[in-house]
Amino acid sequence: MGFEVETIIKIAAYSGGGIAMGLGAIGAAAGQGYTAAKANLAVSRNPKISGDIFKNMLVGQAVAESASIFALVITILLLFVSPPNPSLLDAAAYLGAGLCMGFGAIGSGIGAGNPGGEACFGLSRQPQAGSQLTTNMLIGSAVCQTPAIFAMVVALMLIFIKFGGAALTPTWAALVGAGLSTGLAAIGSGYGGGLAAGASCEGIARTPQSVTSVTTLMLIGQAVAQTPSIFGLLISFILMFKSFPESSLLMTPMALLGAGLCMGLGGIGPGIGNGMAAEGAVRWVARNVEHTSDLMRIMLVGQAVSQSTAIYSMVISLVLIFVV
Amino acid sequence: MGEIGRLSQLIIPFFGHDITINLKVVAMTWLVFGLLIVLGLFARYKRNIFPRPVQALGELIVSLLYDLTEDALGKELAKKYAPLVCALFMFLLLSNWLGIIPHLEEPTRDLNTTFGLGLIGFFLAHYAGIKTKGFKAYSKEYFQPIFFMMPLNLIGELAKIVSISFRLFGNILGGSIIILVVSYLTLNLVLPPFLYAFFGLFVGTIQAFVFTMLTVVYISVQVK
Repeated sequence: MGFEVETIIKIAAYSGGGIAMGLGAIGAAAGQGYTAAKANLAVSRNPKISGDIFKNMLVGQAVAESASIFALVITILLLFVSPPNPSLLDAAAYLGAGLCMGFGAIGSGIGAGNPGGEACFGLSRQPQAGSQLTTNMLIGSAVCQTPAIFAMVVALMLIFIKFGGAALTPTWAALVGAGLSTGLAAIGSGYGGGLAAGASCEGIARTPQSVTSVTTLMLIGQAVAQTPSIFGLLISFILMFKSFPESSLLMTPMALLGAGLCMGLGGIGPGIGNGMAAEGAVRWVARNVEHTSDLMRIMLVGQAVSQSTAIYSMVISLVLIFVV
Repeated sequence: MGEIGRLSQLIIPFFGHDITINLKVVAMTWLVFGLLIVLGLFARYKRNIFPRPVQALGELIVSLLYDLTEDALGKELAKKYAPLVCALFMFLLLSNWLGIIPHLEEPTRDLNTTFGLGLIGFFLAHYAGIKTKGFKAYSKEYFQPIFFMMPLNLIGELAKIVSISFRLFGNILGGSIIILVVSYLTLNLVLPPFLYAFFGLFVGTIQAFVFTMLTVVYISVQVK
């Protein structure tokens, strides 16, 4: 190709940084727009407390921004990073880090707009439940940032761990695959967690005295909805830390790349689906507090069934890593 | 960009095979302990029915956190766990705020600190669960709603430690990296104070609160 190793590393780091910030800006912006739209609706419904709604909107948006801030951190690191012993593996790792953080920030950004918007709208309906709504909004949107944080941790590891000693040919694909796995799997879980958090804010505005069961159920639902992104994290760790023997075949690196893609894409649907199940359960618990345990049981079974597809993806990824 | 290179050393020790003690983190943690104890002593100094400012502040913080615990756990258990919740929140709040003072850094920027706190919360929640429900009812929970859900429940429980500790660590570390880089690029003019206010005070407070609330909720899920 005629490029020096340093040049290729720079190309990978810059394009990785561009991908991270570019993709990472999508989600948070959309989420914040949703919050602002709901805040407008809330003000037009109850103009007397427009000051409170405005404050709540700003706080909600500030929290929803964190996914993009994580992407900014990774981008800045990628722009200034310079490895001590440059090898081509660093280039693959930087590209993987950019992909991981970029995709990983989308879902959490969109999702975190939901609780903010619903809390603003709830404030207009039930101004005296304001402090409960704000608390619940903060917890809900902080928890739905978790998949983005998983993506940031994987990206940081890809940037700072030295992979220099490993065999080049299959390992480059493993590093890019590790980024794709966590990054893509985080989309669904982040968005799903946001759905559950939004429903809980709406529920609290409807029946403020149900706050304890609603918050608890929201957290359980979000935790289960995050399982696909944890599967993604698991596959990433395996891809990063397993040492692969040198091979000249094209098949091996493609299998590893495929493993990352398989887990990543396979995790999106179950994350959203689990979030929808949690959303339904949380929303109806607020109207029917005495049947919390029934609703919770049905939610968990439904989530387990919708999660089975993520488990299929994980099995196929493991087969691709260990067998092929 | 020497500062960025120094950052890598802050992140890596978690994966090193030698036993690494991050002296600065330990020193900062002890500093926070010291500040908390001094604050406590000041709040208690010459207690009176008409509180002096520091006493009023202390009472305000403690009563707020006590009410919060009581809402989630009920009167009986709140007596037992509220002191821990107060201590946890105050420790996290002071830790997250410590970074706004030049040359000091947040202990929570190190994954070891947050992971340790996450482990405390995890074991406490499970201890509380076993104590109130008995071991049989406690272990039966894992086979709910159907027996083959056991591995998923187990992963879910372990994932709680990972998510709670990574969340705090990621937010604080991310904020401090941004502050560092922006300060470097703008030669410490204009912008950094606003960034300190946002990441140190605002994000730090929210994350301390979220960590504390989640620990309380994890306990309440196990107890009920």
